[in-house]
Amino acid sequence: MGQLNDLKLKIEAKITADGLDPMAVKGKIGLRSGKVLAFITPSTPDDPDAIAKLKAAAKEVLNLTL
Amino acid sequence: MKWNSIRAKVLGALLGCLVLGVGSIIVLMHYSFERNSHVLATESVSGAQKLFTILEAREISKMTAVSDMLIVNPQVRDAFVARDRERLLELTGPLYPELKSEGITNWMFHTAEPDMSVFLRLHNPGKFGDQLNRFIDKEVVRTHVMVTGNELAKAGFAVRILRPFYDAQANVTGYVEFGEELGQFIHTMKSQTGNDYGLLLSKKFVDRQFWADSSKVWKRRDNWEDNPNFVVADKTTDSESIIRFAGDLAAVPGEGEVLERFRQGNSVFVRGIFPIHDAAGNTVGAMFVVRDISSFYLAMWHTQNVLVGLTIAALALGGMLISGMLGRLVFRRLDHIIVVATRVVGGDYATEIKVSSDDEVGQFEELFEQFRRVFVDVLAQVPAFQEQEKSRSEAAGR
Repeated sequence: MGQLNDLKLKIEAKITADGLDPMAVKGKIGLRSGKVLAFITPSTPDDPDAIAKLKAAAKEVLNLTL
Repeated sequence: MKWNSIRAKVLGALLGCLVLGVGSIIVLMHYSFERNSHVLATESVSGAQKLFTILEAREISKMTAVSDMLIVNPQVRDAFVARDRERLLELTGPLYPELKSEGITNWMFHTAEPDMSVFLRLHNPGKFGDQLNRFIDKEVVRTHVMVTGNELAKAGFAVRILRPFYDAQANVTGYVEFGEELGQFIHTMKSQTGNDYGLLLSKKFVDRQFWADSSKVWKRRDNWEDNPNFVVADKTTDSESIIRFAGDLAAVPGEGEVLERFRQGNSVFVRGIFPIHDAAGNTVGAMFVVRDISSFYLAMWHTQNVLVGLTIAALALGGMLISGMLGRLVFRRLDHIIVVATRVVGGDYATEIKVSSDDEVGQFEELFEQFRRVFVDVLAQVPAFQEQEKSRSEAAGR
């Protein structure tokens, strides 16, 4: 438990570091991965499929390898 | 722009319309040019044939009038009846140059049948006594009325009149003949129409030796070998190549026929041909007609280019207009909906979709805005639901 939340934090850190529009970028990642980032909490269960999709979306939108 | 986007598809369809439109114009103009050039050629042939017939009738009328004057002249009549060749030449000789200047190149007196030989040739006084035995000679002897028509003879291919000449007692004492070379007709026709003409004679009706001899007399090139079935008796152009006919003159239909279109340098021509019959009804020759349709061709070419240019311009303008309208009325608004939907997923629950019109996209905007509000409302419940779930899990674990 907590892997998805870690990924979410890394994505948010990258958005902040790059000075991007957080709503727009998180929206794109959410649409591509099928996960609403706002709903990911430390208690969100580790779903391997959701993790893979979130990593792929982050790579695609932010060019961020997680 | 993605190749599978609506904009790309619409522009692709417009490009297809452009290609189809330009192709259709080119095909239509080509068809129109083919058809019109054929009509022009047909008109040239039929017009030339009519003009030839008119000229023929006019010259026959002229020669008839001259002969009318001649046969009532008592001095000429008496000299002919007396078979006084010198007196007859003395009386008629001064007239010949005048008639010749009017195109009457042949003038003969013939004795009466059964001998019917040439008594006097005004155009060649030193030669007489020969029998011609032509169709018109036999006809005038048979009918004793004036015979007219084209006759191919040693003196050339001419339209002739041959009529009885009477003594004071109204007995036939001989015949008088006038003739005009048909070759000179084509120069008159050219001056009237601007077209070029060639007078072709079938080799079946022309003696090879006669042609060689007459070529020397007239100081023209012996062109016997130029064509397999006919010789060019006269033409209005220096060009040898524009008169080209591979068929049989006897097979040319009575109303004439259009041959083909051809190019020479920058000029475009159409060719046609119509038959020329002798007095006996034989197709002894043909008139070749060549019409320069370069100006018509250039006009058609110009029209085609203008139409193609206008089509391209219209479709390009239409393409830009449609593309611009699609962008403003559809794509930009769809982009706005996508941006808002994306931001909602990203956590922005405040940005609304503004309904800009009540058109189809506007209805979609309105529907999506309503959906967004429901979605935002649902999303607002999620943290509480998650907390509730968490508490329930913890209680169950205790």
